[in-house]
Amino acid sequence: MTHEWTDRLSEYLDGELEARERARVEAHLAGCAECARTLAELKAVVARASRLPEYPPEADLWPGIERRLAPRRRLLDLRALLSGGPRVSVPIPQLLAAGLAVMLLTAGAVWLALERRTTLRVVPGPQPAPVAGLAAPDTIAPEAAGAVAADFGFSRYDAAIADLERTLSQHRGQLDPATVRVVELNLRLIDRAISQARRALESDPANPYLNNHLADQMRLKVDVLRQVTALIHA
Amino acid sequence: MERSDPGVTTPTTISEGLPGADDRDDVARARAGDARAFERLYRRHAARVHGLARRMMGPGPADEATQDVFVRAWEKLATFRGEAAFGTWLYRLAINLMLSRRAWLGGQRRRLDDREETLAAQTARPAMTDLGMDFEGAIGRLPEGARQVFVLHDVEGYKHGEIADMLRVTSGTSKAQLHRARMLLRRHLEA
Repeated sequence: MTHEWTDRLSEYLDGELEARERARVEAHLAGCAECARTLAELKAVVARASRLPEYPPEADLWPGIERRLAPRRRLLDLRALLSGGPRVSVPIPQLLAAGLAVMLLTAGAVWLALERRTTLRVVPGPQPAPVAGLAAPDTIAPEAAGAVAADFGFSRYDAAIADLERTLSQHRGQLDPATVRVVELNLRLIDRAISQARRALESDPANPYLNNHLADQMRLKVDVLRQVTALIHA
Repeated sequence: MERSDPGVTTPTTISEGLPGADDRDDVARARAGDARAFERLYRRHAARVHGLARRMMGPGPADEATQDVFVRAWEKLATFRGEAAFGTWLYRLAINLMLSRRAWLGGQRRRLDDREETLAAQTARPAMTDLGMDFEGAIGRLPEGARQVFVLHDVEGYKHGEIADMLRVTSGTSKAQLHRARMLLRRHLEA
């Protein structure tokens, strides 16, 4: 068998060759024992891979995970309040704590990013998830080797935030004043976090920590605004 | 194959057999801040995520990567719209996180050719009587790109188009890397 066909045996095996190429490979396989053996081996590899067992961690990783969930839990309280969920009567101090958590996380992220800046030369460009519908399965994108994006898509968040803020401004009279105060307080804290991240990015625009953090804060703001406007339209 | 949340593609082999109904209930609770519900999600999916981490990143960072995946999932849970199975969403998040981590470590940029000779030299014959373990070890010793494509395609069930999107390569490159990985691994199936 020629190298041409040897290199395409996996495509043949996976059914990805066109009919004519497939026929040519099969004709060749009929007369080439070496290639037929190679194909059998490749089939065995594929079969073996499909039978690989799951690989549970040797130690229970949950305690370490749980310790890192706490800040998020506090932030969720704000969402529960806005969505009319089971935590409607969230005390103001707790919401302040949520905002404080945002600030501390921002300060930490900025510090961490600036600390690493001197050692990291090539960085992945995070891609904030689409704003529409908050369809954001994840924002961490694999690195395009050597590529540093000039626009990480934050403009889409800016546009969505502007729209939502306009709606909120026009209809704030429909909301309970206490709710408005709490929402505005938290939005100010989120804005502060966004501003800090933006300032830090001015000197290090491709920093993945900062870009991811900024994307998180903007998404949080969109999320809060969407839930508030949903209350307006409810 | 189903496509649900934007950017999340569901290989049939992954979505099938997962405890979707249980997940839906616990996802709803976890989204409302119920850490116990999220722990149940962790218990159901940790083995698969850890296996993925181990095969994609190696045994050393697998525990930390698994923890990072679940912490990240907790943070992103509000963005999960429930159109795909939670497991599908979680595994895609895990893959993205691991690829990003590998990129940080420089592995993504390291070209593959410099390691193939090492693997070829080590794999003339299985070194262990347990072929299963040797097969796992051989996966770990594959060149970076070939290992990623092999794990994503032959172990996790993703298609070349999806892998190409994840790795920012062409489908042709993905196919070539897969064939390369298989050709290297077949030696570990010999008696």
